[in-house]
Amino acid sequence: MVFIFGFNFPEQTLVKKSLQTFYGIGPQVCQRIMARFHIHKTAKVGGLKNAQVLDLNAELSQMKIENDLRREVQDNIRRLRDMGTYRGRRHAMALPVRGQRTRTQTATSRKLNKIERGGSGQIKL
Amino acid sequence: MSSSICLRRLPQLSSESSIHSSIGSRNLLSSTQTSSFSTSTARFASPLMKKKTGQVAAPKRGAKTLNVKKGRGGSGRDTGRKPAIGERKALRKRIVLSNTNALEVPTLQDLTKDNVLDKAVEGKVMGIPGEVVDALRAVEAFKTSQGWSLFRRPAALMRKETVQIAELVKQVEAGEAKAKQTIRKVLVGDKMSGKSTLVLQGLMIALLRNWVVINLPDAKDIVLGHTEYAPLPGSTPTQYYQETYTATLLSQIAKANSEILSKIQVTSKPALPIPTPPKLNLLKLAELGAANPEASWPVFVALWKELTLPGRPPIMMAIDNLAHVMRNSEYLSADAKPVHAHDLTIVRHFVDHLSGTKTLPNGGIILAAETKSNSPACPALDYSIQLAEARQLGREVLPEWNPYKVVDMRVMECLRNMEVLRSNGLSKEEARAIMEYYAASGMLRAKVDAPFVSERWTLAGQGNIGELERASVRARI
Repeated sequence: MVFIFGFNFPEQTLVKKSLQTFYGIGPQVCQRIMARFHIHKTAKVGGLKNAQVLDLNAELSQMKIENDLRREVQDNIRRLRDMGTYRGRRHAMALPVRGQRTRTQTATSRKLNKIERGGSGQIKL
Repeated sequence: MSSSICLRRLPQLSSESSIHSSIGSRNLLSSTQTSSFSTSTARFASPLMKKKTGQVAAPKRGAKTLNVKKGRGGSGRDTGRKPAIGERKALRKRIVLSNTNALEVPTLQDLTKDNVLDKAVEGKVMGIPGEVVDALRAVEAFKTSQGWSLFRRPAALMRKETVQIAELVKQVEAGEAKAKQTIRKVLVGDKMSGKSTLVLQGLMIALLRNWVVINLPDAKDIVLGHTEYAPLPGSTPTQYYQETYTATLLSQIAKANSEILSKIQVTSKPALPIPTPPKLNLLKLAELGAANPEASWPVFVALWKELTLPGRPPIMMAIDNLAHVMRNSEYLSADAKPVHAHDLTIVRHFVDHLSGTKTLPNGGIILAAETKSNSPACPALDYSIQLAEARQLGREVLPEWNPYKVVDMRVMECLRNMEVLRSNGLSKEEARAIMEYYAASGMLRAKVDAPFVSERWTLAGQGNIGELERASVRARI
């Protein structure tokens, strides 16, 4: 087991896969981080050198991911709502924010548009 | 057969019977109610039938029923053994060099150190001696796509191009000690025309002549981005070394050249990041690098330095699938830009020798083979090949670069002065020799005479050797 950003990953997990479990790291960001520390795309967590793991941890702790990022997103939505903007209201009502139709197909907005927006990641809200 | 019912009354009859179907019908057609020209009755009847079959009472409690649903615990569950890690790859990469069902060819002679450079072997099928086979296997010169598994033991036709390579070997060996030649050749040709086999034969000749052999079996593996990489400290512009790949390469070099390398002692004092025993021969050095991947690149550099000292044997370096190293690799630099394949140290090392910027002080040959079955588009390489061929043929009008294609200047620079060896189709005499070998092995059951050879030679696209094998051994037409 290897510790990355405070979480345990089995040795045979791909580095790419394990990084993308964090809220705020998708394919693009993951690719950038891996390129930065010269980790090839099929590298396994167990195959990383100690220095690389330390670098990775340092980099991840610098980044705004997981709860910090969630908080930022939530703050942005809350600000809109507190100002009484249309976008804020639409978020609060779990309706589409950017002018989409509401007659049908609002499943995504009903799922996502709320003040306490969580998303997926290592830490579950 | 005469019909019992008047054919003109047939439509009426069928409509009548459909109307009065509730009344017990006595005529012959009522039982089927279908006419050969109308499918509608049967089609509309079938859903009803299906519904009826669906309404079956639930099975009694405790009764055994057939459950074919997939899922947990069901009979549909796959109970077979899952392949172990690496098992499928091992099977895919397995090289079979012998077929016990094939006959031993009594007339088959082995190549030796002396006869391999002889002109007399041209056009003959010659056996590859056992120790050379082991070395070739170690450097992965055999490919799964080649037909080694069809015959009793590895043997190859000494075709015209092979003899040309042998001539080059002779030329290098004949050079004076101070001015040994470095010959560079790119093998080109149609699909299945035997380019990889020519590389193998080149390596074979080199091994027989006690040269040091270094083979990069597939350029794709170097640039694919599947092995560890790291920037080489102190290099500008940044170069990247691949420690695992280099370690594998070193172990291959050690296995294939163990006899020669074990006789040469390390004379200089290489600065290596790992502790080294005081008395070291080159074999030990290579094995040290293979065992310690973190030091593999410095070890490779040290090994190369030793091999290029005066008085050391000539070197044969080969690469297959050249187009892959003539473009950006799949690796990314620290700022997430693609790394050009020429910035990888191993590729750099090879390409420097291929382009002629570096030479082999003890002489040697650099062979590179292109591939037609799995190669990326590389306009610069294609153009360079055309240009080199036109130059070699002494054409006055040289091909011009298509200005609408993106030019990779590094590739153009590197291939500026390259020489091309085209592997064409076999001649009819060569085709006859190899077909007689097929027949003697029992793999071709036909009388090998001029018309037969001529037919197969034509079927194989004017003697393309891969097609010839396919047409005469693999396929039973």
